[in-house]
Amino acid sequence: MQICSNCKSYFPLEEDNKKGDCVRRVIDRRQAYYLSKIVKSEAISCSYFQEKK
Amino acid sequence: MSQPIERNKSVEEYIKNHEWWWAAEKTRSERLDYLRKGIWKKGAIGGLYAPGVKVDLERAELHTQKAKELEFSPDPYVIKFAKMIAHVLDNKTIFITDHSQLVGYTGSLPNTIAWDPSCASILNDEVYNDPTAIPEPVEKNQKIIEDVNAYWAGKTDLDKMMPSFDIEDLMKMLSGSIGWGVPLARGGYSNKDYEYIMTGKRAFQDIIDEINQKLDDADEEIHKPGASKEIALMYDKINNWDAMIITLEAGIRIAKRYARLAKIIAENFEEDPKRKKELLKIAETCDRVPEKIPRNLQESFQYDIFIQMISRTEAIEGAWPSRPDYYHGPYYDKDVNIDKTLTKEQALDLVGEFMIRAAEVCQFKPKWSREGLQGIDGTWVWTMGGVKKDGTDACNDLTIAFMHAARLVRVANPTFAFRWHPKVKDDVMKEIFECLKHGLGYPNIRHDPILIANSMHWHGHPIEEARLWVHQACLSPCPPTKKGFQPMRMANATVNCAKIIEYVFSSGYDNIVNMQIGAETPEVTSFKDFEQFFDAWVTQMKTTFSILVRAVNRARILAPTLTPRPFLSALSERSIESGLDTCDPSIARGNAWITAFTWVENIDSLAAVKKLVFDEQKYTLAQLKQALDSDWNGYERMRIDFVKNAPKWGNDDDYVDNIMIRCLRAAAEFSKELKCPCGNNWPILPENVSGNIHYANIVGALPNGRRLGDALYDGGISPGPGLDKNGPTAVLNSCGKIDHITDGRAFLLNQRLSPSQLAGDKGYKLWRAYMKTWADLGIDHIQFNVVDDSTLRSAQKEPENYQEVIVRVAGYSAHFVDISRKTQDNIIQRTVQGL
Repeated sequence: MQICSNCKSYFPLEEDNKKGDCVRRVIDRRQAYYLSKIVKSEAISCSYFQEKK
Repeated sequence: MSQPIERNKSVEEYIKNHEWWWAAEKTRSERLDYLRKGIWKKGAIGGLYAPGVKVDLERAELHTQKAKELEFSPDPYVIKFAKMIAHVLDNKTIFITDHSQLVGYTGSLPNTIAWDPSCASILNDEVYNDPTAIPEPVEKNQKIIEDVNAYWAGKTDLDKMMPSFDIEDLMKMLSGSIGWGVPLARGGYSNKDYEYIMTGKRAFQDIIDEINQKLDDADEEIHKPGASKEIALMYDKINNWDAMIITLEAGIRIAKRYARLAKIIAENFEEDPKRKKELLKIAETCDRVPEKIPRNLQESFQYDIFIQMISRTEAIEGAWPSRPDYYHGPYYDKDVNIDKTLTKEQALDLVGEFMIRAAEVCQFKPKWSREGLQGIDGTWVWTMGGVKKDGTDACNDLTIAFMHAARLVRVANPTFAFRWHPKVKDDVMKEIFECLKHGLGYPNIRHDPILIANSMHWHGHPIEEARLWVHQACLSPCPPTKKGFQPMRMANATVNCAKIIEYVFSSGYDNIVNMQIGAETPEVTSFKDFEQFFDAWVTQMKTTFSILVRAVNRARILAPTLTPRPFLSALSERSIESGLDTCDPSIARGNAWITAFTWVENIDSLAAVKKLVFDEQKYTLAQLKQALDSDWNGYERMRIDFVKNAPKWGNDDDYVDNIMIRCLRAAAEFSKELKCPCGNNWPILPENVSGNIHYANIVGALPNGRRLGDALYDGGISPGPGLDKNGPTAVLNSCGKIDHITDGRAFLLNQRLSPSQLAGDKGYKLWRAYMKTWADLGIDHIQFNVVDDSTLRSAQKEPENYQEVIVRVAGYSAHFVDISRKTQDNIIQRTVQGL
């Protein structure tokens, strides 16, 4: 199922297993970086979804 | 069509040609080069944000979401507000840039500008109406903005405060004619109690522990048999302490989010072992600070960044009061000189990156603010050098490292202000000279003994505190101490002083905004002598100053209840001790000042009236009024007379210099009658940012020959551009006639020097001799532009080839290409002084 917890970018929080960090690589016009957004584990995933192997 | 500039010369060739920016690019480390080029330039160009820079809607939405959730909660406002800040910190998107060693940003992405929707509806309207800054898809995001704005309408700080102001004063202030800014505790220049939080004695967890002890004591007190006023007030204190803890804990949590992200990247994505190690070091650092006290330079810088980031989440801060060499210096010494855990080069990378992290910071500001601060987001003037509490020299190896890093990263913001005193060593002065020679426009130089005495004179700061002063904004000294630090920008009383002389001619009626703003002084043509004319000037000065000061005073009184600052309070010893918000005037000494924009126009105008109307009786006041009412149209010959044949400030001419002293002393005398809510004085501080351009279309024709729309003088006590014709010593002699301790709080002086004259050892000796004269005359400030006209004119013609040329605008520096054509011309027009 395409929910955040099944995504490669999802890293669960130790203190709250219903939430996690969605960590993605971004390259903009000036710099490259990794970002992290707090997401719910059961959230319906977004266009960046990549299934965890 | 412009030719691309040759970019493959050697470093030596670039230096020989004074192309310092290309030399820096070739000299700095790969890391600094990457990070420097990675900066999204946030300073507005011509009042608009640069392409690609977008308003951060995430913060606005998070803040609004929590506000809605808490709307009907029984919590007192200070607790609700602390929870809103905590919610933003807990949920905002964070990022770590490649090659970086320091983390933390006010927005959610590198190209975003943080927008706090809870400050002012007028600001929110500007967001909605600024399509260039709204992220794609514009229509969808405009709807989000509309919803956010609809929620906050009537609920923002300014909305809440407006009914409590004197409506007449407020209308005059908001007309934009005499003032600059709005009096909000969460919008302005917030100094901090660095002596409490930056001296390695405590970090966030220690403060939480201190507060918990206070809460335990309070709990015991209020539950003992008995009742009193103190107990009744204790409940408010408990709320304040609770709110402080909420923000401190949220600060620790967001740091740990960065630690976790760094660890995730290192363990899951990064393949380069060297970078993995750096990421794990970031993780260790953010796990440590701000919860616990820093142990090394990286932790110390990171601790500072977190403090600034959280404080800028709580409020829109337009300045960056700081003394980084003083507070971070011991960690540099430990790492580089004692433990040798860092090489000088590694430390330089951290120092340069610390500047870059600050250069990126931006919060959405209204257009008038962007126009007044062209090319930068706020005045990040970092204080360097100076003396320690005991009066000994405070310069250290980190002072020198900052000067070195500045020449490598060449950011226009932050800039440095160096506190000169007689014990400063020559090697430090040489570093400063190098920065000036490299055309940075900074550091500006401050006369420490004079300003310490000045702080004691005007605000009664004890000498040990006065010696610790930092710049609260561009120029204003303020001790970062328990009672001394000023938590809000009391200088919302920023006066467009050219209006004072204008109002003498219009009996206080403002013909630009069509309302009575000044005093209704007698019809100007009725004055029989200069004394009557001058009396009217004094009345107008007192009236305009009072309007703005009253509003700021009122805001300061209202701040603790309507616009609290729980995080800033948590960093403040006086608030931890008392349980009161840090803006509460009863626990502060006060350090207010009136920023006097466009001041010297008064002096040159008064001198022209005195000479040509009253002394020589060449013209009548009626003729002059008619000429001014006509914007000098049809009176060109007369205008030239007022420009050329009236004495001008800055030429060591007692005729006009005595008028300057007389005006300053009249203002100084009145400053002691103007009191802030702490009971302290409101001295004036003549300076401009880019106000001279912003106000060009707001100030009418003046007796110094200026027409409506002409750029005003560049400010402070700087002579009018091109009007100082008697050389650099004459400028200094004029400025030296002012008593820089008792005549005002500080005085900005712009000077331009020739780059070719400063070359080599001879150039350094010439500059030192000039600086000796400056110091001997007791002048409190001086700043230099050392860029020649040909470079600036080339930059106007081919901006794409001169992106990195920096100039000193006023109390701040900016990249030349980022300021308006009018400001550029104004800088070129300034006299290049031959030493």
